[in-house]
Amino acid sequence: MDLRFSPEDNAFREEVRTWLAANVPTDRRPKRGPEMREYDLAWQRKLYDAGWGNVAWPIEYGGRDLPLIQQLVWFEEYARTGMRPIDTRFVGLAHAGPTLMARATDEQKSFHLPKILKGEVVWCQGFSEPEAGSDLASLRTKAVVDGDQLVVTGQKIWTSFADNADYQELLVRTNPDVPKHKGITWVICDMALPGIEIRPIRTIEGGADFSEVFYDEVRIPIENVVGGIDNGWSVAMSTLAFERGTAFTISQVQLAASVEELIELARSRRSLNGRPVIEDDSLAQRLARARADCAALRALTYLGISKNVDSDQPGPEGSMMKLHYADLAKRVYKLGIEILGSRSLAIPHVEDDTEWIDKHLIAYSTSIGGGTSEIQRNIIGERVLGLPR
Amino acid sequence: MNLLPTPEQIEITDSSAAFVADKVSIERTRELFEQGVLPAIADAAWAAAAELGWFALGLPEECNGVGCGLADEALLFRQIGRGLVPGPFLSTVLGARTAAFGGEQDLADEIVSGRRVGLVIPDSLDAIGADGSIVGAVQLVDADLDGMVLTVTADVAALVEVASLVDVNEVPCLDHTARLYRATGTGAAPVASVAASEDPIELRGHVLVAAMLTGITEWARDTGAEHAANRIQFDKPIGVNQAIKHPCADMAVQAQLSYSQMLFGALAVDEGRPDVVFQALTAHVTAVAAADFATATTLQIMGGMGFTHEHDVHLYVKRMELLSHTFGAPGLWLARLLELPEPS
Ligand SMILES: Cc1cc2nc3c(=O)[nH]c(=O)nc-3n(C[C@H](O)[C@H](O)[C@H](O)COP(=O)(O)OP(=O)(O)OC[C@H]3O[C@@H](n4cnc5c(N)ncnc54)[C@H](O)[C@@H]3O)c2cc1C
Repeated sequence: MDLRFSPEDNAFREEVRTWLAANVPTDRRPKRGPEMREYDLAWQRKLYDAGWGNVAWPIEYGGRDLPLIQQLVWFEEYARTGMRPIDTRFVGLAHAGPTLMARATDEQKSFHLPKILKGEVVWCQGFSEPEAGSDLASLRTKAVVDGDQLVVTGQKIWTSFADNADYQELLVRTNPDVPKHKGITWVICDMALPGIEIRPIRTIEGGADFSEVFYDEVRIPIENVVGGIDNGWSVAMSTLAFERGTAFTISQVQLAASVEELIELARSRRSLNGRPVIEDDSLAQRLARARADCAALRALTYLGISKNVDSDQPGPEGSMMKLHYADLAKRVYKLGIEILGSRSLAIPHVEDDTEWIDKHLIAYSTSIGGGTSEIQRNIIGERVLGLPR
Repeated sequence: MNLLPTPEQIEITDSSAAFVADKVSIERTRELFEQGVLPAIADAAWAAAAELGWFALGLPEECNGVGCGLADEALLFRQIGRGLVPGPFLSTVLGARTAAFGGEQDLADEIVSGRRVGLVIPDSLDAIGADGSIVGAVQLVDADLDGMVLTVTADVAALVEVASLVDVNEVPCLDHTARLYRATGTGAAPVASVAASEDPIELRGHVLVAAMLTGITEWARDTGAEHAANRIQFDKPIGVNQAIKHPCADMAVQAQLSYSQMLFGALAVDEGRPDVVFQALTAHVTAVAAADFATATTLQIMGGMGFTHEHDVHLYVKRMELLSHTFGAPGLWLARLLELPEPS
């Protein structure tokens, strides 16, 4: 056991830190629209040109294929720049891309993977539907084979970045007459096809990152199917083995940094009684707890990564990290608006305060998106502890 | 960076678990405290642990120790916690170190070969003097009247003769496996003492307590989950209900957090990290919260059985309370955590 990084890893950290310091964008990221897309893609192009297009992807696909420990170092340093853990590049780099690597044909791979890596395209994920959320396999969006095309009719919802995406990893029902996991197909959908309508949904903090997507007899070439007709469930699940827990480091490090900022904020702001907020014992205790909890979350992340270095399949730490992170992030960002006190009501006035309010509101999504906390608890209960379903 | 145990560390875990099952099982512990033997561990088992080198494990070789790291010692203490092993293991291990680093090598040798050292839990922080002497009202856990007890503060660790104390009275302890005295100090000079700047004995203590609490949490997680899977009500295992399943999942998360941070704290001490105080205190804070939650959860999952003297869960609840009051209290540690610089 060892907490220290090797001299090579430390040298690598220096290299990464120096490069990031010199290259990370200094202007504020636009909150929506084509400007946001262009900001993210320009950053991806810069990363790609310098050889940082994706530290986890295999070299044959243009990635860096770093050892897990150096991925960890990369993500720790990346986190310190304050860049978001999830932006419009996310689905392509972390979900669709790895799925294509695992299951797509050579033609599909050589067409799509370089575009993702070079920052030419944005992907989105069309999985959830109004009637299929946690129970994803009950999805209904219908696809009928017509010659060399799939004709798709139905609706997706909560599709992040749909209005800025070029492609979508789309799950459709190709066979309604077999058990629900068996009649699903995973297909690459070009978002510019006729018959697709996108309606952005306004979110709790006033953003519009996700959308409803409607499909009216959208004709998708059958060659866009990945992994075969009716085989989509196993294709959708194949990305899981790619997720080795290192990318999670960004969220963990940034949450810990937020706690440090909140401690400072609590020292500089005053409560209703005119005293520094930090002198409120109950709040001080919760800040201290948050500091400790962030440290323990890092230890948990390190343990999970240590285990994954030695094994092909990632362990249940993934669900544990996600579940604990969601609980902790909600607690931490709630402290933010408690420290601001009644001033948190006047949203437009102070830019920095707005950020704490946004973070608090956005934190509510951490226990919903990507599989709710209840579903994570089911997974841990059943797969880790062996409890009956 | 690697938090996986080495083959030697796996061996420490396996052999200590085997020893606990064989020599200091909970059934045996129960027999002993029912007979009034306190602490509820047989002299032969205590001697066997000394023989195995348990008290010398983390002591440097130049102090006649085995020279292992705190992480190794913590893995041993995790098994002590999990097996609810009675006896003053914590204060004896730290006592040997205090003697050795305080220049009393003969005393250290004696302790390592099986002379018990009890633990002092002060009624208030000012009951312990700046030199580690006892100057006020205290409680002594598992002390021998003709022996020594260990005082630990953020600044100093010291060994004090029980014979130097007054008003020493035995009282029943919440933890049925422990012997408890109330006593008052007279300010007698310690037999040996070590400043925190020389060796962080307090921090080692926090990590070892966190290790025992981690063992308790892991026991509770496994016991609760097993009952949830096997107890049938309404024709189904109770564990199909999320009101049972989800707290079990939360116990699994808490156990893993407690274990990871306990290792982080131990390695921070072994490697002399700049944020060592933060990491060790955090290990204790995290482990207390996890064990408190897990023991209460498993007690509830057991139903009426959980409320009885027969089931072991109450013994774990009570041990958890004892360990939550060792080396301070959660409120004090949290206040210190907030004062410290940002962890590195
Ligand atoms: C910010 C954000 C971004 C998202 N981005 C995308 C995206 O890009 N693409 C995409 O496809 N989807 C996306 N989603 C959708 C997300 O995956 C779903 O919201 C999520 O899976 C839950 O589905 P649901 O909203 O239908 O809720 P439901 O499944 O209806 O759940 C409602 C409530 O019931 C609980 N519940 C449901 N089933 C169970 C059960 N078996 N046991 C216990 N409790 C249960 C849930 O935990 C929840 O609390 C996004 C969501 C958010 C919040």
